[in-house]
Amino acid sequence: MDRTRIAVLLAVLAAGLALPFAAGPFWMGLVTQMYIFGLLALSTDLLLGHAGLFSLCHASFFAVAAYTTAILQVRYGVPTALAAPAGLFAGTLLAAVFGLAVRTRGVYFILVTLALGYVVWGVAHRWSSFTGGDNGVTDVPFPAVGPLAIGSHTGYYYLVLAVIVACALGYRVLVRSPFGLSLRGIKASESRMKSLGYRTGLHLYAAFVLSGALASLAGVLYVYYNRFVNPVAGSFPVSVEAVLMAIIGGTGTVVGPFLGAGVILGLRNWVSSFFELYAAVMGIVFVATVLWAPDGIMGLAARVRAARPRAVRA
Amino acid sequence: MTSAILQAINGVSLAALLFLLASGFTLSFGLMRVVNMAHGAYYLLGGYVGLSVARATGSFALALLCGGLAVVVLGYLVDRFLIRRTGENHLAQVLLTVGVAFVIGDVALKIWGGDFLKVPVPVSLRGAMELPGGLVYPTYRFVLILFGAAVGALLWVVYRKTQIGAVVRAGVDDREQVSATGINVDRLFVMVSALASFLAGMAGVAGGAFLLLYPGAEWEILVYALVVVIVGGLGSLGGAMIGALVVGLLDAYGRWLLPEFSYFVLFAPMALLLLIRPRGISGKDV
Repeated sequence: MDRTRIAVLLAVLAAGLALPFAAGPFWMGLVTQMYIFGLLALSTDLLLGHAGLFSLCHASFFAVAAYTTAILQVRYGVPTALAAPAGLFAGTLLAAVFGLAVRTRGVYFILVTLALGYVVWGVAHRWSSFTGGDNGVTDVPFPAVGPLAIGSHTGYYYLVLAVIVACALGYRVLVRSPFGLSLRGIKASESRMKSLGYRTGLHLYAAFVLSGALASLAGVLYVYYNRFVNPVAGSFPVSVEAVLMAIIGGTGTVVGPFLGAGVILGLRNWVSSFFELYAAVMGIVFVATVLWAPDGIMGLAARVRAARPRAVRA
Repeated sequence: MTSAILQAINGVSLAALLFLLASGFTLSFGLMRVVNMAHGAYYLLGGYVGLSVARATGSFALALLCGGLAVVVLGYLVDRFLIRRTGENHLAQVLLTVGVAFVIGDVALKIWGGDFLKVPVPVSLRGAMELPGGLVYPTYRFVLILFGAAVGALLWVVYRKTQIGAVVRAGVDDREQVSATGINVDRLFVMVSALASFLAGMAGVAGGAFLLLYPGAEWEILVYALVVVIVGGLGSLGGAMIGALVVGLLDAYGRWLLPEFSYFVLFAPMALLLLIRPRGISGKDV
């Protein structure tokens, strides 16, 4: 990483830290959502950008984690110190089951994950005696661990910021590790990796479960931010928008999915304030991204950088 | 015992509907390698157009025809101007057609509203009929089974016994070779794609008469059709028939025995298949 990039990242981090002092609750809420959905997008991008698998069921892990935490905390009065890890565990466990999908590739993988994700939405929607049906689970309190309690949206903003910075750093280490390299090897040519002796199925399964764990973490962060959860959290649009965010930002990068989340959430907030058909506008964004910006913002930035003449580095 | 048999008939009538939708999806994948996630939205749009036509003219047959044709026109435009530009990139196709489906769904919501709407069934098909064995069953759903079987049989005969069917089958196996023998593959694609759209639109009208039409119905029906295709194997017409029966029956018994977990029942055939036969019953490598 060269110096300018580090400087840019530090400046962004400083801006993130300073935001609550400069912005009102609306912007702070929007940026918190951007962090949370950016993390969800990042989790899908571990599969898409590195392993080459296009998953359409990540809203399930997100929602199962959110529901587990919410139900434990609200209905059974379980403290955050147990409810949050339980949510993370439940979502990851589901990912370990749905990980069966890595037995398929390509189109089958897309279709299978879509259908699996739908099953989770269906259960959340129909099993109303447990999940609360369409009303979901409401009145989730702010998280509190022992004497450390979050009491305000500003406090929660900093907690989310800390979590995503830690996740982004960990993610960067992960994708640069031999494991990350072998995932990209599988993406480039699975048969070659197989003939080199890699157990590609196991690698993809591990990536799937890890990515599900990350999505679950986003779900736990979401439920404490949103204070309620209903079946919409596990619905297909959430899954597919997470992938779109990763693509708009730029797949295979750490910052891209967060940028993409910012673009999508910002656009939706803006458009829905004056135009009724904002879902149609989102649909057009899907089409436009595929046709004109398949490499996303980071891809665009890389092209600009490549076009700029620069000094030879020692 | 009686209700078990009635559920079986319910399952088969849903299977008939799912087959209409899934056969188009599976054929367009088999031949053109196109994954069209807007198929559910085509279904919903066809249903809504059919609803308006049926209300205006009172003719169910005309509703079926117009619902199908409206989707043929739209499907052609989407194919020609959007999907074709994605080449064979399935990721791009999926995102693009999901976007198209969002647009269709939202515009349909604006035009037809968010209520649950029902396509009026013709008077002659209303009410119930008595089946052998003293069973009483809604006439419309029984006729739907016959209709689905007829369409299936027709497709099968065309696919297996005619020259066009032979060309399509050859195209599924090896497009370049078919093209090299001087057959206009592009025209073939347009025809198959129009057929798939027509079937989806018609299914919307037929389904709208008993499953109702509402925002979100496009994704529900799409997922059912996808499970049919996953179970049956992509690109196989016979697989779509078997898959439709499996999914239809499972869904009917699931709704009856485990109402809160009826969606969960869909998970079972997929999980089993993933463990044993990831390509589906009669799927090929893709």
